[in-house]
Formats: sequence, C-alpha cells, structure tokens
Amino acid sequence: MLALIGIVATVWLAVTGRLGLYIHPRYFEFTVIMAVIGAVLVVAAFAFTPLEDEHEEHDEHDPDASALASGEHTHEHDADRGRPTRFGTLRAAIAAVIVAGAAIALLVLPPATLTSATATQRSINSASSTLDQNAPALVGGDTSQFSVKDWALLIRQNPDADYYADKAVDVVGFVTESPDDPDNVFYVARFAVTCCAVDAQPVGVPVYLPGWKEQYSADEWVAASGTFAANPGSSSAEQLLLMPEDLASTEQPDQPYVF
Amino acid sequence: MSRIPLPVHPAPPRASSRPRQALGLSLGIALLLLFVAIRLLAPEAVGDVLSNSVQDFFTLSISVVIESLPFVFLGILLSIGVQVWLPDGFLLRHLPRNAVIRRVTISMLGVLLPVCECGNVPLARGLILRGLTVGESLTFLLAAPILNPITIITTYQAFGWSDGILVSRILGGFLIANLIGWIYSRHPSPMSLLTPKFQASCAHAHDEVHATRTRRSVDMFAKETSAMLPALFVGSAIAGLIQVAVSRDLLVTLGQNPVLSVFALMALAFVIAICSNVDAFFILAFGSTFMPGAIVAFLVFGPMIDIKMLALMRTTFTAKTLVQLTLIVGLASAALGLGVNALA
Repeated sequence: MLALIGIVATVWLAVTGRLGLYIHPRYFEFTVIMAVIGAVLVVAAFAFTPLEDEHEEHDEHDPDASALASGEHTHEHDADRGRPTRFGTLRAAIAAVIVAGAAIALLVLPPATLTSATATQRSINSASSTLDQNAPALVGGDTSQFSVKDWALLIRQNPDADYYADKAVDVVGFVTESPDDPDNVFYVARFAVTCCAVDAQPVGVPVYLPGWKEQYSADEWVAASGTFAANPGSSSAEQLLLMPEDLASTEQPDQPYVF
Repeated sequence: MSRIPLPVHPAPPRASSRPRQALGLSLGIALLLLFVAIRLLAPEAVGDVLSNSVQDFFTLSISVVIESLPFVFLGILLSIGVQVWLPDGFLLRHLPRNAVIRRVTISMLGVLLPVCECGNVPLARGLILRGLTVGESLTFLLAAPILNPITIITTYQAFGWSDGILVSRILGGFLIANLIGWIYSRHPSPMSLLTPKFQASCAHAHDEVHATRTRRSVDMFAKETSAMLPALFVGSAIAGLIQVAVSRDLLVTLGQNPVLSVFALMALAFVIAICSNVDAFFILAFGSTFMPGAIVAFLVFGPMIDIKMLALMRTTFTAKTLVQLTLIVGLASAALGLGVNALA
C-alpha cells in the first residue's frame, strides 16, 4: 500500500515536471523506471494469496482476507507468533496512521519548494562543502550566465570591490532576510542541492536596499540586476553587497534549485 | 486429491483460481487508480494553510522518501534474483574452507545480495538453516548492508571521497563484522545463541515452498516492501522533523564536539532505522553540521544495529546475544568515530 502511494506520487511528480523539487535531475530516469517496475510487481502481488513463509507453522488467515491485506500490514509473521492480540491491534493502528500520513503528505499536499524558513535555519552561504565544489572558472569567466550560487562563491573567493566595478549582475532568487542586518539587507537566494532536497543548502547574493521590507516579503521571487560594491556601512558581515539597479517580482522558476 | 497435509513439509500454497486472481488484480489496480485520483483531484490551495516550517517539514521528508524508494526497490529486486532464481545451495558450495577466509568471503557476500539490512535477516536465517555457523551468519548480517555496491555507490554520491567517510565506512564495516564473527566462532555452544524455536527449525530440514518462481518473486517483493517501507516513511518523517524543529545552535554545538557528536549520531542511527542503501542521503543533511567521525559512526552503526533490526533479529537470536552484540558493535563504532574525529 505504501509502495503504491510512493509510486503514484513519484510518477505524478515526474509527469508534471516537478520531480526536480525533491531530487537531483541525475536520478530522474532511474527513479521513474524503478517506480514503474515496483508498480507492476506490487499490483501483481494482489493477484496471489501470500505464500506461507517457510518458517511459519500455519497460515492463520482466511485466504481472501490475506489477498486484500497483502502489503497493508507491517506484520513480520515471525514476530507475531506468541504475542497477545492487543499488540496485533496496536500494530494495525500504527500501520493505518502511517499509511494515512503518507497518503496526505504524498498525494494530497501540493508539491512545494523549500521556503526561507529553511534558509534561515541553515544559515545562508555557510556550507563550505557546497561552495567549494566545482567552482567555475570565475575569474575572467563569462559572468552573464552566473547564478546566485556562482556569484556567492565568487564574492567569497575574491572580495576586492574594484574587480566588480564593470561586471553586471543579473540573478533570480527568493527573498530572505539577512541575519545580521535584517532591515537593510536581504539575500536573493536559492537552494543548492546535492542529492535531494533534504541536503539543500541556501546560497545567495546579498542586496543592499534599506527598508526593503516595505516592498518585498520573504519567499517572494525576484529578479535583481546591478553591480557589487563595498559594504557601505551596514552591519551585515558581507564585504560586498549588490547595489540594485533593477528589482522586480517574478514567478518561481520551474526549477528553483541550483545544482 | 488428497487433503491430508504431510507431517514434515508445509502444506502447498492454496492454488489461486483464475477468478480469484482476476479479483485480486482488479483490487490492486483499483487501489492504484484510487491513489491517482486522490493525487489529481487534490486542490492546490491545501498547501497555503501550512506555515513555512510545516511546509518544509513535508518537503524534506518527502524528498528523502522519493530519493530512497527506487534504491529500496532495486535492492529487493536483486535479493529476489539471488534467493529465488539462483540454484539452491549455489552460494554455500563455493565457500572456502579456512575459517578466517571464509568469514572474509561471507562479508563480501553483500555484493551479491545488496538489500536493506532488514532483508538480510530472513536471508541469514536461511543460511543458518543451510549449514552456516552462527558466527558466520552474524558476519553476513552485519557486513552485507554496508559492503554492497548500492550502499557504496550512494555513500559515494553523497560524500565523494571527502573526509575519508566512504573509506572509513567500508573498512569499519568490514572489520567490525569479521570481529563479531570471530568472537562468536569461539563460543563453546553457538546454537545456544539462537532462540529455542529457531533451534527447533534447524533440527528439521525444510523443503522449499512449492510455488512457481514468478509467484515467489512477486510475493517476496510485496512482503519486503511491506516490511521496509513503513520504516522508510517513519524515518523520513523523523529526518524532516529534526531538520525543522531542532534549533540550529544545538545541532552545531553537538555536531562540532568531537565526542558528543559521535554519540549523538549513534543514538540517532539507533532510532532512525533507515535503509543502509540510502542512509547516506539522509545523513548528508547533517553533513555540514556534524564532524566526519560522527557521520562515520552513524553510517557504520546504523546498518548493523537499530530498533528495527533488533526486533527482526529477536526472532532468531536470544535477547542476551543481542545485548552483547549491541554493546560490542556500539563500542567498536564509537571507537571508529572518535578515531576519525581525532584524525580530522
């Protein structure tokens, strides 16, 4: 039963193009193929009564009930032997709760991206492992295609303000407030994902806009362009801040994470 | 047709008649369609009532499930391939005679049977029934979840070569499993480590269950998934919950302490009971907050001993054996973790 819930959720996400909200694109094909194979096997299992396990002494169930129940219960038949039936009811209740919870989470709730709550929880730009990986040839590279992740990495590697004077920055991300200077600085952020959303680390570009909270709220998606300049005295720990020339709300992109 | 069940062999499975098969199949398909319908009809607005943190809890937990599910299925498929489709006794006939080398070989058997640690318990039981000693079976039980291609691949995907986590996991798993096998091989009466019921089963030879291999494969798939998926879903939910609910400062304080971090993650490993095939993805979330030794301890202790494993093993081994096992494995994993932290 849980297998079917998981499979339906996975395939639906893949079909509607939202699998990327949860896992890295390199796993897409594998995930979908296994889901389909799993579906075939699980549905096929409904056609048969469960076989007796070679270590079980007798089959206690009515075969019709067994066919319906296969896959529904968590019971390992060996562990059931000798237990009072009170435990049997408790196990069934727990199984029902798990199934209901899984159904709600996977089938009812709409898919979502991680929010700024996680960005705050995980402390933006702090994951050194994410930032060290595969740094593109930043110095002298073509900066017009840089994402927030590339810029975040670059301004850490090279905090010299003059270097940026002629480099146009054009990024898209969601708004999350700066931990050091929440009223004047916010980050245009995205999550960098290694395998799946659970390891997502927020990375972002700090933007200097005093009183930004009057115009934008956390989690709103914006497109920002401008250039970097030295920190003009804000209490933010960043040495370089983006001076925005153009800042506009946008739609959340289909693929909100960076890899 | 004779209706007297044979005294020694289990009764053959009740034949599934065509109408019953069709009924079962329709039920399965109906259930599938029901889930699809729920998914398609669920209104988008439902998500708006949730706060950010709650939303993130679901997103995080769901991502672990979706990431792990295909690996779990793959593991089960491979295990079925070996258990159902390989000729009987094939593996055992080819094991070396010398005790130490035999154990080493057995610990590598996980390469052929890359299934979650939970799937290994029935397998280990079967091996004891077919003549493996208790010590050897324990070596298999402890080594197979770690020393198999899927686990190694996913650990590599999550951590690469950084901090020696992958290497420590492989070596640590190998050493601890062989250590346990060696310790219990010196026990004067190994059969006393087993529960009385299981000892009785060992006294009789059991025939294979009479059913076609296809049917056994399908049946095993259903049984394995119904055994493992609840643990996966609950483990994912706990993972999401910890991410969202536990304050970051606490995590960082714990995580950066070379001693406490090891024990904190070992405790987590004990409680979480997540499949060894994918536990690397789970713990990656903690990768930046916890020291590498703690991560290694988690990755080595978790596949060997956790609540679910103990429950499964209780069908075969006495409680006293399990307590001893937990202590020895726990100490060894802790030593490994502390060692890695000291070197880091």
